[in-house]
Amino acid sequence: MPLEPLPERFQEVLEQARALGLDFFELRFEVVPEEIMAELAAYGLPTRAQHWSYGQVYNRNRLFGRMGLSRIYEIVLNNDPAYAFLLDTNRPVENLLVVAHVAAHADLFKNNALFQETNRHMVAEAAAHAQRIDRYREEVGDERVEHVMDIAMALEQHIDFPEGVHRRRYEESGAESRPGGAASRRDRPEERFAELFPEEEAPSGRELAPPPLPPHPERDLLWFLANYAPLTHWERDILEIQREESYYFYPQFATKILNEGWATFWHARILEEMGSLTPEETLEYARLHAAVVQPGSRLQVNPYYLGYRILRDVEERLGLERLWQLRREEDDVSLIQNFLTPELAEEMELFTYGPRGRFASAGREPDLEIKSRDIEQVREFLCRPRYNYGAPLVAVTEVHHGQLYLEQLDRHVSGLDLEYAKKTLEYIGELWRGPVRLVTADAEGREVELAWDGQESRRSRP
Amino acid sequence: MPAELPWELRRRGIRDARRHDQRVREAIRKNLRHLVTEEAIISSDGQRLVRVPIRYLERYRFRYGLPQSHQGVGQGKGEPGERLGEREGGGEGAAQAGDAPGELTFETDLTVQELARLMLEDMDLPWLEPKGRATRSRELRFDEVRRVGSLANVDKRRTLRENVKRKAARGDPRPGDFVEEDLRYRSWREEPRLQTQAAAYLLLDRSASMTLDKKYVAKAFFFWMVQFLRTRYERVEIVFIAHDAEARVVDERTFFAIGSSGGTICSSAYRAALEHIRRHHPAREWNNYVFHFSDGDNFPEDNAVAAEALRELLVESRMVGYGEIVEAAGPSFYGSPEGRAREREAERPRELERPKSLFGRALARVGDPHFVAVAIHRREDVYGALRAFLLADHGG
Repeated sequence: MPLEPLPERFQEVLEQARALGLDFFELRFEVVPEEIMAELAAYGLPTRAQHWSYGQVYNRNRLFGRMGLSRIYEIVLNNDPAYAFLLDTNRPVENLLVVAHVAAHADLFKNNALFQETNRHMVAEAAAHAQRIDRYREEVGDERVEHVMDIAMALEQHIDFPEGVHRRRYEESGAESRPGGAASRRDRPEERFAELFPEEEAPSGRELAPPPLPPHPERDLLWFLANYAPLTHWERDILEIQREESYYFYPQFATKILNEGWATFWHARILEEMGSLTPEETLEYARLHAAVVQPGSRLQVNPYYLGYRILRDVEERLGLERLWQLRREEDDVSLIQNFLTPELAEEMELFTYGPRGRFASAGREPDLEIKSRDIEQVREFLCRPRYNYGAPLVAVTEVHHGQLYLEQLDRHVSGLDLEYAKKTLEYIGELWRGPVRLVTADAEGREVELAWDGQESRRSRP
Repeated sequence: MPAELPWELRRRGIRDARRHDQRVREAIRKNLRHLVTEEAIISSDGQRLVRVPIRYLERYRFRYGLPQSHQGVGQGKGEPGERLGEREGGGEGAAQAGDAPGELTFETDLTVQELARLMLEDMDLPWLEPKGRATRSRELRFDEVRRVGSLANVDKRRTLRENVKRKAARGDPRPGDFVEEDLRYRSWREEPRLQTQAAAYLLLDRSASMTLDKKYVAKAFFFWMVQFLRTRYERVEIVFIAHDAEARVVDERTFFAIGSSGGTICSSAYRAALEHIRRHHPAREWNNYVFHFSDGDNFPEDNAVAAEALRELLVESRMVGYGEIVEAAGPSFYGSPEGRAREREAERPRELERPKSLFGRALARVGDPHFVAVAIHRREDVYGALRAFLLADHGG
């Protein structure tokens, strides 16, 4: 049930937030029990299509919650209005801190550049997605729908965010750039897949050689398959739904450190400015805040702490105005590259680490060692997992005689887990309904090609 | 939840969690052939939960070969090159455990009995009614409904139904105004029950030619066979008989211990089992199961004698099984992780062969439907052997 009317003290927090300059969508609060919180955390949205993998996360969240290992105090959704969920066991002061924290998240959702393209009605949109997929389940059966969802989710990280969620097929954008160019192939369905099978193309001098497909390495695998693989209507829709939701979540992924730092910075400022806290409440708040910004472990820097420290440092060095600009323009990568100074890194005693020896033996927990305290290294290692959903860069490079060629573009960093790559390639081959190949590197860094011909997998050195 | 969301779309967590558990079970079922010889399970006491490693339930995707959890940014004192030890568990680290390559498994808790039931289901055998030998107990079942009884036993649901039924007939289907004829009572009845009991005779050749690996196969087989019998019989007694040239009834620990350097006379074990059965587990009261594992390297003069002993044993037993363990070429017998991975690729249940030794063939000539003999070449055959024996029991 929505919290209406909003408790007076919540209103006080929000007024304080606005007075300090935060600018957010209307916030709708709801108090929920732990199992709903676990469910929201598993799905990321109140409603998404059913899939067993959410059940797996839900189980784990519930278990951790019951064991007291982790408690989810709040969840706020990037939506207009923004929905915020509070745990029903939160104590009064916890709720004040959480409300302030949520207001700052909502401010960043509304104002950060990366979020400008996100669908602000995703809560309703995702519910519509879920209904569509429910219908497909009825039409073609649970098993088939679940399997295609398995595939879509295997590829969920492979979008090309800067290209935007709405994209046209290559030849259409090509036609636009060539004045008076060929009419869209989409208007002639019989030719939609013609470029996949050039040898079968009817001889015709009308057109010049078809442009290569894709014209450049294509990282948005979900988009490419949805547009160029011979899919049924419902299969394509499942890929497109997955892709839309991946686009929706990407800015939140890419601003994790910034967003948590920002919310932590402001919940502190707001509560410290609030006149109505009793001394006991102030003490309790201080204890809570200290827990939020605890540094983390030796091998894991708490992102709340890291973001908070960087923002505090910027405020001290460059003033509060700079912070407002930063919250509009930066994401985690640029925040770290531009604002994590050597002095701060040294003060925080940051270092990079990695396995002793050149390569860890497969499946073993390797011995780790400190690698470097060089600021460039530290920045690089902090940023690396913040690109591209932290996934390897895999692109479609060519379609030739109906065969789909893929390549891991960043194989110099590390090749793929070959066992996983093989299965994922099979998934792609299933949608492509034809042979697929993938170039990557093995554990020793040597180039290796995986191939799937619809029956069996092979591995070879190209 | 935001109020505008349709009802049918809410609370999906429980449903998806159930589907996930179902997938776990499917994954286990696909792996039964390997789980049968999983060391951690067959070394358990059969009572507690066991951690069942599950492969196949991974969410496949492209991921780096060098796990990202093995590198990153940390904090604190120390010089480059300084050892940090292993990654601490818990927190984010635990969540990232899935990043490691190789044969990563995640585990689920099941009781051995649940696992045994899954196997029986997978083997697709009809549930066999055990032969009860004597009426030993009566069971009270509280499932009768009567019109008379003590007020303490009123069945409220049924009484309410009768009340509404009666009143509805007069045009007022609201409950109330109870009268005597509405009342229904629960009552018990007595049901005679068959006390079912079985004795498992586990016979193991421990002569010099029986290597540790061969014994491991026997151990896995015995472990599961006893579990299966326990799902079927209320009471299962186990008798261990180890033999080389002589046979002895021993306890479980000595049973699998290092063997002797002597030769092999299999009939000695059959005689020992016969004698024990006649004294402790007479066939009219007990379902006797006898399983013998050997490599078939028997003293040649004993083969005919053993076949004769087998005939006598069959009279006293519900079934007798003989497993001949023969080492296959290649490493798969030893279950190396790589060998196992290769086998999973080419995974198809194999037809089990018949024993080829002179001893095995002499036994086969006895030709009794209650006698089953198979040859086991590798660990994965144990599953098929279990099935073959259970199937024969059904035929009997």
